[in-house]
Amino acid sequence: MHPVLRLLRRNVTISLNPGFLIWQIIFPLVYIFVAGFAYAPLISGVPLGGRDLDYPAFLASGMIGFNIMNSTLVSGIIIWNDRRHGMFEQIMSGPFTRAHYILANIGTIGVIGLASASLIAAVGYPVFFESAEFSLYTIPVVAFGAVTGSILFGSLASIISTRLRSSEGFNVVINTVFLFFAFVSTAFYPAEGAPEPLRTAFFLNPLTYLVDVIRAGVFGGITEFVLVEMAVLACVAAALFVAASRLLTKLDL
Amino acid sequence: MACIRAAGLTKSYGGTAAVDGVSLSVEPGRVFGFLGPNGAGKSTMIKMLTTLVRPDSGSIEILGIDAVAEPLRVRRRIGVVLQQPSYEPTLSVENALEKYGMMWGVPRDERKRRAARLMDEFGLGDIKHKRNEDLSIGQRRRVQVAREFMHEMDLLFLDEPTVGLDPSARRDLLDYLKERTGGGLTIFYTTHILTEAEYLCDEIAVIDGGRIHTTGTPDELRRRFGSGRTVRLRLDTEAPGLAARLSGIPGCEALPGGTVVIRSESPEEALRLVLGALDGSGAKIEEISAEPETLEDAFLRMMRKDAPGS
Repeated sequence: MHPVLRLLRRNVTISLNPGFLIWQIIFPLVYIFVAGFAYAPLISGVPLGGRDLDYPAFLASGMIGFNIMNSTLVSGIIIWNDRRHGMFEQIMSGPFTRAHYILANIGTIGVIGLASASLIAAVGYPVFFESAEFSLYTIPVVAFGAVTGSILFGSLASIISTRLRSSEGFNVVINTVFLFFAFVSTAFYPAEGAPEPLRTAFFLNPLTYLVDVIRAGVFGGITEFVLVEMAVLACVAAALFVAASRLLTKLDL
Repeated sequence: MACIRAAGLTKSYGGTAAVDGVSLSVEPGRVFGFLGPNGAGKSTMIKMLTTLVRPDSGSIEILGIDAVAEPLRVRRRIGVVLQQPSYEPTLSVENALEKYGMMWGVPRDERKRRAARLMDEFGLGDIKHKRNEDLSIGQRRRVQVAREFMHEMDLLFLDEPTVGLDPSARRDLLDYLKERTGGGLTIFYTTHILTEAEYLCDEIAVIDGGRIHTTGTPDELRRRFGSGRTVRLRLDTEAPGLAARLSGIPGCEALPGGTVVIRSESPEEALRLVLGALDGSGAKIEEISAEPETLEDAFLRMMRKDAPGS
């Protein structure tokens, strides 16, 4: 087995602990089935691609993007834990290079991101079953969103983990950043109707682009604006990936 | 062919030389001890030899491979137990061993066999289902060392591997390492505990201030820097003024707590003078012992000779 695959397997094994699984499964389900149906009477319909979506369907598709972002936290946690518990140095003294380590992390993010997106899609399917429009064109868009979003948020978490040594610092920064991403985005509510400064802030947030792309893939509304969002997502993901790789390469031993 | 051959190695951090022109050679199947006080350059040296850090200048050949040009080829053939703990907190002991074997590409059946054997040899059977984060420091250290034997290697670097181990576990580990060198494994071993170096190592290098101070077998170092025998007298009291009276006696030292130490190749004359000095001091001898000088005594003398102002 190639060294990258061996490291990827190790990463997945150490990440799959009960706490992480609960965080990944229970939390989104509560949102979809409790918040989705509780808010539905208050939000009659959400405009998307020339039609109205019911709120649970809107929220379930938003949770796919939200869950991809959450799952990529694992990348930062792996790097941070490896540094804190001496495994980064141990791995680097073994039959691996830094390139192997970086690629394995990206692979881990991709695997967990895709698995997470599939899981929420499967659970959310009964909710937005009637309005979903999967096709040969839309499924690759969802996959593109899942992979690009995983790389983007995974790289961001990696950058934070290489800069912070203390657990308090790491937790405070990562939770603050991801809290901002989660709630100043279109994951839970549409940009239309939000007050102007907030609406602009939505589009300074990569999660908004990810969620819009996922929704376009799920409900079949691929417009020119969505294509621009896909391009922005890809560019930001590439830039953050390069930055994260550079920081990891320079990490002191 | 030497297992390790380093020539003119230097490494500086912020203008300060951590390692300054070090050269050494280690023959196959030997245990090479690397001693030195804190900050002497041991860790920097071991990081360069294990390819974790590139030297500023000099050459390193490990198992006949240029370690600066081909670090990955070197890393595939060495084992490293670092000074700092390294573990995956959520894995159980058994799982940690198996996963480490998997990372090294050991086939599944073989790694299960090795993990079972190592848990037995390192006394980890009772804690095999415990998670790493729940282990004591000593248990975690045993797992860390055992884990390194999950894969094949020709050369093993151990950076103070007995830190945190109790005396019994420490002796067990040293015996295990001795046994493994009998099978052809070469070991590069750093430690602060000189009795360990004396017990385990075939050859020792002492580093201080980033430079190799001396090399030799433990016996050679004792002969070169030791002073033959040590006579210790334990007194019932710390007699006032005794230290001043003893200060003129060659090789004699009054330690706090009422102990007098004589280090000399022929301590008889010094002993006679000490007994004379004690006469009338009010102090009585409770215990007297004579022993050959240890490597630790020789090491301390070596370091003191080089200390500024000595």
